[in-house]
Amino acid sequence: MQPIQTLKRLKQINMDYYSAAHTARQNGKFIAYVNAFTPVELIYAMDMIPIYPENHAVILAARHLSTETAKAAEGMGYSMDLCSYARCDLGSIKLRLSPTWGLPKPDLLLISNSQCGTLTKWFEVLSRMYDAPMVLIDVPHSGHGEKDEAAERYIRGQLEELVGTIETITGRGLNQARLRETIRLSQEASVLWTRVLTACANKPSPMTVFDQFISMAPIVAQRGTQEAVDFYRELGEELDQRVQAGVGAIENERFRLFWDNLPLWPELRRLSTFLEERGACLVASLYTWAWARLAVGADDPFKDWTEQYLYTANLHLQRRIDEYATMGKEFGLDGYLYHSNRSCKFLSQDIPEVRAAVTERTGIPGVILEADHNDPRLYTIESLENQIDSFIELLSSSRRSG
Amino acid sequence: MSVEDPWKPFRDVMQNPWEYARAWKERTRGKVVGHLLPDVPEEIIHAAGALPVAIEGAGIYASHAQAHIPGYTCNHAMGALELGLRGDLAVLDGMVIPYVCDTTRNLFHIWDRCFPDMANEFLRIPKRIGHPKVESYLTAEFQRFAGVMQNLTGESAGPDRFVSTAALYRKSRARLREAYDRHRQQPSVWTADRINLLTASALRADRAEHLEWMEALPWEDHTAEDSSSRIRLYVRGKVWDPPGILEMLDSLGFIIGRDEIVTGFRSIEQHGESSLDPMETIVRSHLRRVPYPGYHIDPAQAVEGFVARVREATAAAVLLLNPKFCEAAAFDTPDLQVALEKAGIPSLVLETSARGVSLGQIRIRLEAFQEMVSGELP
Repeated sequence: MQPIQTLKRLKQINMDYYSAAHTARQNGKFIAYVNAFTPVELIYAMDMIPIYPENHAVILAARHLSTETAKAAEGMGYSMDLCSYARCDLGSIKLRLSPTWGLPKPDLLLISNSQCGTLTKWFEVLSRMYDAPMVLIDVPHSGHGEKDEAAERYIRGQLEELVGTIETITGRGLNQARLRETIRLSQEASVLWTRVLTACANKPSPMTVFDQFISMAPIVAQRGTQEAVDFYRELGEELDQRVQAGVGAIENERFRLFWDNLPLWPELRRLSTFLEERGACLVASLYTWAWARLAVGADDPFKDWTEQYLYTANLHLQRRIDEYATMGKEFGLDGYLYHSNRSCKFLSQDIPEVRAAVTERTGIPGVILEADHNDPRLYTIESLENQIDSFIELLSSSRRSG
Repeated sequence: MSVEDPWKPFRDVMQNPWEYARAWKERTRGKVVGHLLPDVPEEIIHAAGALPVAIEGAGIYASHAQAHIPGYTCNHAMGALELGLRGDLAVLDGMVIPYVCDTTRNLFHIWDRCFPDMANEFLRIPKRIGHPKVESYLTAEFQRFAGVMQNLTGESAGPDRFVSTAALYRKSRARLREAYDRHRQQPSVWTADRINLLTASALRADRAEHLEWMEALPWEDHTAEDSSSRIRLYVRGKVWDPPGILEMLDSLGFIIGRDEIVTGFRSIEQHGESSLDPMETIVRSHLRRVPYPGYHIDPAQAVEGFVARVREATAAAVLLLNPKFCEAAAFDTPDLQVALEKAGIPSLVLETSARGVSLGQIRIRLEAFQEMVSGELP
């Protein structure tokens, strides 16, 4: 396998990002803790650096610190049933154990419950811990994604009010020209990220979903900056070259698989090798695609943010079935690996229904793997590998029988 | 109705709420609408001519449901699904699932696939209950919901009907509050278990009929009781769970000074204002209720407000009934316990709805807590 050269730049990009966050005050910047569905372009335009405690938890897992930090949170009284991102982050604060020198103290905690309810509660704990103000962008999704004008007014009102809250914290007004510029950069990064993901529809796929997981940090945390644009442009160009040269992400691509839900962060390398040895390549995941859909227009960004949080982010069951079936066709999938993630109930509880419906519609089989995105105590990796092995054997035998 | 046992009609409803609903349906030819707790406005369902029936999943052994929803789901959701899958809820014409948490958001969609013949509705309850714009949003949402209910029943809830429904619910809740007060005065007659019987059955029976039954209760008996040795408890949680816990608390000498249980005092605490438009009353009552853990208010105020309510209730101790797998409750618990400790108020956390939970173990923990709070340690 030829490694993707551009990915080597990520280490420095991440170090620069966390360094900038830790020196924010010296540079006249402020810190906002945020989650996925918050207006990150507005944050950058208003001299704040967005920090994702979820990403911090991922780094803890990647450095194999999740067990130690999660245990510390449990010692503080947080139940083992709570999201392991939250437990790892809270335990890391308690132990002062972090590869990023911790996270700088927030000036604002900004959250949207469009993603999940867990983050709201986690941020409430952080708000009390740091005595920092918290703003929840409350998004009452409609059941099947029906248009809801009352909800649109409610959400837009909260977003517009947010500008005043940030102005009070920073003492500076919103500069419309800067907002337009961050929106432009965010749009550009989103287009380039989409190009990266789309490249994986080629056979062989030039990149695996494991590589997508590793390379998604800038589209998450630095959407609206030049750094993200530069990185994804370079990555996209390298993938194009690989496609033209017929270089696959794995040497002998026999099966093209979909990964549902968040990854098992502590097992990225192990699972990647395990699948590669069996000629199975993960080529698509809705989780990485989510970040391709978050750019807004400059004409009325408040309207776009509102619609994104209320409708685009409403990943209800029927929508997931439709999207997975479409991706099955577009990416030439042979199977679906569904991660039933104990720490992400929002994306996991309907998996049995999704799996049954997708297979019924597409004829493509799927297997459910119950695990956890950050806490290796909540699964046995060998059992998961056995399940995957059996699934791949099933794919092989059905291919043999024609 | 038995003259000897005025509590019997309430017990009958709770022993078989589905049979009660079926009989009501046959009698009235009306529609029966189930609703998952908390905070579905019963008045809106009632004003449309339907019978609102609360669905509680706690305490239900889940077998069929495990094929549709993972095992790390709380029993409130899983148990409700189980009731449906095993056929107990065949009497329902509709089901309302409110946006309480990620689990109810998912449950709605799973429900809709499992029971496509039922009129299923997702109630879009806002979480930022202190925000200035929340009242206008919630009013619009409840009006939309009223339209959905009217479509289901085919009956129009005109202003007069809404006014009479609101008056009925005000009267019923006032009577239930009286009963709750009597628990503190005469805890051996008005036991916590019986108070729950009244409030829980009110969420399942025809309110007018329920109100009539309540008139037969021993209101005239004012025999004073010495309850000085009893421990006044403040309870936080979703429902009284595991079933039997109130009987246990009664027998161990606790009094429920106040609670935030969804089917407990929280469901009856709001007086409602007769001078306002009924929809305005429902919306304001909703927003004034003690915030359920799934709602968001200022995080510091959430803790300070809780300790203040415990103090106001002059409770000697706090019991936190945390449903297993409920993230909202579990995230709050450590900070609440630290604040209670600072205030010198002892607290006990019981993880409820855990599959395989032993009532005997819970009793031992409550006994130990009772001994600690009362200073009766050997």
